[in-house]
Amino acid sequence: MADLEIRDLKVEADGTELLHGVDIELDKGKTLALMGPNGSGKSTLAYAIAGHPAYTVTGGSVRWKGTELNDLTPDERAKLGVFLAMQYPVEVPGVSLTNFLRTAVNAVNEEDVPVREFMTRLREQMSELGVNQSFLQRSINEGFSGGEKKRFEILQAALLRPELAVLDETDSGLDVDALKTVAEGVNRLSGPDLGVLIITHYTRILRYIEPDEVHVMFEGRIVASGGPELADELEEHGYENLKTTA
Amino acid sequence: MTDLLLDQLTEEALTGRSDAAGEPSWLRDHRLAAFKRTLDQSWPDSRKDEFWRSTPFDRRFDVDRSVVTSGTTGTVVPASITASLDEEAALVRLVDGAVLDVHLPTSFAERGVVITDLATAANEHADLVRSHLGSLTSADPEGTGAHSDKTVTVSDAAWTAGVFVHVPAEVELEAPISIQVHVTAPGAHLPRVLAVLGHHARAAIYLEHTSEPDVDALVDEVVEVIAQDASMLDVVSLQRWDDGVQHLALQKVQAHRDTSVRHLSVTTGGSTVRLLPECDLVGPGAEVRPLGIYFADEGQWFDLQPYVRHIAPHAKSDVLFKGALQGRSRTVFRGNIYVHKDAVGTDTDENNRSLILTEGARADATPFLEIECADITAGHGSATGQIDALHLFYLESRGIPRDEALRLIVAGFFREVLGEIDLPGVEDAAVAEIEARVEAADLDQVQVNDAALQDLG
Repeated sequence: MADLEIRDLKVEADGTELLHGVDIELDKGKTLALMGPNGSGKSTLAYAIAGHPAYTVTGGSVRWKGTELNDLTPDERAKLGVFLAMQYPVEVPGVSLTNFLRTAVNAVNEEDVPVREFMTRLREQMSELGVNQSFLQRSINEGFSGGEKKRFEILQAALLRPELAVLDETDSGLDVDALKTVAEGVNRLSGPDLGVLIITHYTRILRYIEPDEVHVMFEGRIVASGGPELADELEEHGYENLKTTA
Repeated sequence: MTDLLLDQLTEEALTGRSDAAGEPSWLRDHRLAAFKRTLDQSWPDSRKDEFWRSTPFDRRFDVDRSVVTSGTTGTVVPASITASLDEEAALVRLVDGAVLDVHLPTSFAERGVVITDLATAANEHADLVRSHLGSLTSADPEGTGAHSDKTVTVSDAAWTAGVFVHVPAEVELEAPISIQVHVTAPGAHLPRVLAVLGHHARAAIYLEHTSEPDVDALVDEVVEVIAQDASMLDVVSLQRWDDGVQHLALQKVQAHRDTSVRHLSVTTGGSTVRLLPECDLVGPGAEVRPLGIYFADEGQWFDLQPYVRHIAPHAKSDVLFKGALQGRSRTVFRGNIYVHKDAVGTDTDENNRSLILTEGARADATPFLEIECADITAGHGSATGQIDALHLFYLESRGIPRDEALRLIVAGFFREVLGEIDLPGVEDAAVAEIEARVEAADLDQVQVNDAALQDLG
């Protein structure tokens, strides 16, 4: 049994079915790229894994390390090591970034990291990801550029040390330098204890984070699966061919 | 001494009390003149008085009470008195209609600072007190308070425990002056404060309001502050009452040329609180920042009416009030900005934000502008909403349990206001008040706004 087992997953939002029976397997230590055109349901899958309140699972299952995630609240999923780097990270006015991160780290690890130790860890991660230290004074994502928000998502992953990282369009809105920094950040986290699900429209990020497997999603279904070479094919021919085969 | 009923003041009783307190004759006459004005007045009526439209006076305030003057605890410090603003540089405590104690630090006294009982000051600093007491309320027929309603004129006539503060010109106080109003006895309490800041003076006045649990009392408070040219004034008012207290408060500042005034009210306690933080900008270049935070719970009714009058040109005001509500509670925000026809170059903004946590709470907002002058910059806005489901999901997805996430978001809502106050002890005290309310809240009942969720594909 794989660490992440998604079976015949059906998801709807606002009364419309967006995923029509999706199967995915991913083990820790592996990287899976989920590609597909806009509106194919990639983000829906990401949100369903994380427990976003706007998405309702109407059938199938999402099992992580043997536990059914559909029965759990978002924070319970996070405590099991599930992390979603969001496509559109949310600005939360007034909630200090430092306070937020420390509360999250303490909640996930069920410990109380001393402030000094936490701040040391935080500052290290910030400099590795090229995040300006002045951000410590800010509220969550407030006044961040698109690229800064994406870096901050990876920074959170680095602090929370998840076992399953779902990266939803983490590459979008990043220039090449920022993309490299973020990809390096992800690669630093990688290892036998982390499964990575990269959701992306373009192959660009896959030049820096090499997938073991590639799935292609179209209209709420997986329509093609293969090795890294599948991404190269898509790079060359785009999604047009898939649409005709689907 | 003759019992004095708030609803039936008599010339005889007022005279008797004034004489017994050793007040000078001008002050007695001042009280009697106000008393005569009360005779022509009725208590506020929601149908007739636009400033009372949202709050039914007769249902939320009980004026059929004796005026408490004795200081029932004598010189004993009541056990129920606690201060959250623990900055004891200068402290005056008014308990049950009497001045319990005055602590004036030597370092203040050496610089000529006066902090004393208002009745004493009426004799010892007669010029200052006489020219200013009531000048912002009903004593000056030409002033902006000439048409004060009866809740204010009864204070002019019958105020009991009072404090007088004088910070001489060019004296900058590094530590705050704390005035604590504490109530243990049932009845009507009429505390009064008069403060005068000389030119280029600097002071922070903390007003802390506390009461014994379960006391059934009405507190009708008037605070007048004259801020002379280029002075810097902070007023912080904490309403930490227990459930049985009804609080009427006028806290009014007259801001002269180039003054800088901030007023922060933190309202969490009391059954009904009607707070009027007012500021008359009478000199060019004056600035005022009226700030408010409030958290209303089951059964509470808060009516907050910041009022700024731009009388002089080139003055600035920026009003920001933020409140959270839960249970069957009610808040009223009625902001008033008046701009006189000669007040060219006025720059004003006024905003109110309400966060409705649970079903049954209601927030009314009227950010009102009355502008007689065209050459100004003015903005106003209000918004009422619920906790954003996306904010909540974001925090939860990072492993933060729902309850804790809600607390962070509510505290964050108030941060915008508190972030502006850098006075010693104030942020901690305000945050503690808000957190205590959130801790006690039934977070299972919190409703979130999921409208934003529908925008995501």
